[in-house]
Amino acid sequence: MIEVKNVTKTYGKKQNLFTALDDVSLSIPDGASVAILGRSGSGKSTLMHVMSGLDRPETGEIIVDGEDILKLKTKQIDKFRATKMSFIFQSFFVQANESCFDNVSLPLEIANLSRSKRRAKVDQALAAVELTDKKKSRARNLSGGQKQRLAIARAIVNDPQILFADEPTGNLDSTTGAIIEQLLFDYNKQNGTTLIIVTHDPELAAKCDIKIHIKDGKVQSIEKKGHAADLKNVTSRKVQL
Amino acid sequence: MKTSDIARRAGRSLRHAKVRTLLTSMAIAVGAFTLTLSLAAGEGSRQYADKLIGSNINPQALLIVKDKAVVGQDSGQSALREYDPDLTTSTQGQTFKQLTQKDIDKIRENPDLKDVQPAYQPTIRYFGVEGDAKKYTSLVQMYDSTIRSETAAGNLPALGTQIGDGDIVMPEAFADILVKNKVAASKEALIGKKVTLTVAKPAAQPTEAEINQIIATEGPAGLAKLAQGETKDVTYTVRALAKQSSLAFVTGGALMVSDGQARELSEYVTKGTASYQKYMAASALVKDGKTPEDVKAQLEKEGYPTQTAKDLQAFLFTIVNILQGIVIGFGVLALFASVFGIINTMYISVLERTQQIGLMKALGTRRRDIARLFRYEAAWIGFLGGVLGSGLAVILGTLLNPWITKQLSLADDSHILVFQPLPIALLILVLIIIAITAGYLPARRAAKLDPIEALRTE
Repeated sequence: MIEVKNVTKTYGKKQNLFTALDDVSLSIPDGASVAILGRSGSGKSTLMHVMSGLDRPETGEIIVDGEDILKLKTKQIDKFRATKMSFIFQSFFVQANESCFDNVSLPLEIANLSRSKRRAKVDQALAAVELTDKKKSRARNLSGGQKQRLAIARAIVNDPQILFADEPTGNLDSTTGAIIEQLLFDYNKQNGTTLIIVTHDPELAAKCDIKIHIKDGKVQSIEKKGHAADLKNVTSRKVQL
Repeated sequence: MKTSDIARRAGRSLRHAKVRTLLTSMAIAVGAFTLTLSLAAGEGSRQYADKLIGSNINPQALLIVKDKAVVGQDSGQSALREYDPDLTTSTQGQTFKQLTQKDIDKIRENPDLKDVQPAYQPTIRYFGVEGDAKKYTSLVQMYDSTIRSETAAGNLPALGTQIGDGDIVMPEAFADILVKNKVAASKEALIGKKVTLTVAKPAAQPTEAEINQIIATEGPAGLAKLAQGETKDVTYTVRALAKQSSLAFVTGGALMVSDGQARELSEYVTKGTASYQKYMAASALVKDGKTPEDVKAQLEKEGYPTQTAKDLQAFLFTIVNILQGIVIGFGVLALFASVFGIINTMYISVLERTQQIGLMKALGTRRRDIARLFRYEAAWIGFLGGVLGSGLAVILGTLLNPWITKQLSLADDSHILVFQPLPIALLILVLIIIAITAGYLPARRAAKLDPIEALRTE
């Protein structure tokens, strides 16, 4: 369960002040697949950063597993991210010079796992995205789709509770994008991992259990699959799903 | 993150930028090269000096003087000094107080000393060699039985034993010339030849009456003879040719006679002059069981500055240390320059890998571990530079050693560059620490990087 309570995040000062998130409240149940929809500049990425503890809002609470991560120290948030969360990015951010194995091994190294334990987990993650044969290849020699699969392997190797995906198919053609989507939703269903996708693609969002529309830093509406609830104009209130 | 994992990742990112890594570490390598060579040269010189002293000087030997300046304990020789009849002026124009016979007698009374010998320095007018009409000049010294001399031909008695009164030791350099001038067929043929030294008594100041009388009886020739003074010829047999060895202290330019002969000759030439029975220095041996330092302290209390074998060693070491210090200074300068190279390279590396750092931070890497990643990279650069530089120095030094030995005409088994593993290991360790220090600022910058900023793609 992730609860976001009255979170406000601003950038800049005085006349340059920009409110990226304006008193946002929402909650996401465990194991759900969530799409955060909005145009660029709407604040959807900031919402993701805030939920993952990468960014600190000025006010509000972010409660993950009953703990307000904004009250944690930097070191503890780092540990939190290292053990409970994972990320997939639009531009993959795989380390081009490193082998696929070393790319996937990174989160495990950060989490202080021993070398022998890492090997089995990395192999398993690479098998899940069908990149076992590329284990020793440099990441730079992979195609775009393969890179994103590698990024997924890196994201799931640590068995995260929450998987953040920032425009995961944005740089891919539709066929490859479909494969990536399939991988993400399958993982979400099979492992009960909460999947939070930041996107502006309505087709991708339609496949999620919950759609959260963000506009100008405010939650415009939250739709649950099956029975859509238009919540326009009640953004400043906590929304129970 | 585990230290080993960080170190491996640091090593990998350096491998991915091979040329840059190599060039940066080359700067350190230059410093390491210089420092390794200077350490080796210092060690080699010290070992050589040790060998030199060990093989030449009896550790019990003392050099006793009257004037501190002679043993280099006082550098104020150019200062205005009061007249003293015991003063003499050296060839360098320095004035020294000399030991008198009374001093020698007093030193001889010391129960801890034996073989007290004044350093006789008889001056001869010329000398001649059997079968050669030419006259030659030379310094004459007392044969020092406490110092081992190597011979090119003939033989010398064991250390501590004087040569006979009829013996003379000739420097090899003289023999070379004599052989060239066909006085002897070979150096060996010179052994047993007669050498005649001509010494002159100082001219007495004749009175006017004496001059008139000589002119009357012998004419002007007699007067010239009087002015020249009385001379004496002493003949010796060549016993050995002293080799000009780099391990021997005695400079090859003097004929050497026994102590008794040196005394006789020098008293003959100084009789009636101010230099009669006055000596620059005296040598002595400390009796077995007594430490030279104790005897030295005692002698100095009595007013005789003394030099022990150890003092001489310390003096030589001081010179070596100063020279080594200068070279080390250059090495340190090179290192100093390389520090900026490392800082620059590391900053570029941080900039290039902004995304990687951002990703690692997003995945939960602690700031401290990011900083460590870059510090370890710096450490690798330092290590690489150190190994390259000192490795190259060891290889080059080992190859050059025989040539240097030949050029400086050192003894065959001595090397002036002595590489020791421990100082080199320490040097590499110091270089690693310097590199890490240089990497501090870039590492801090990497650690402070904002992951959101770093991962922004638009």
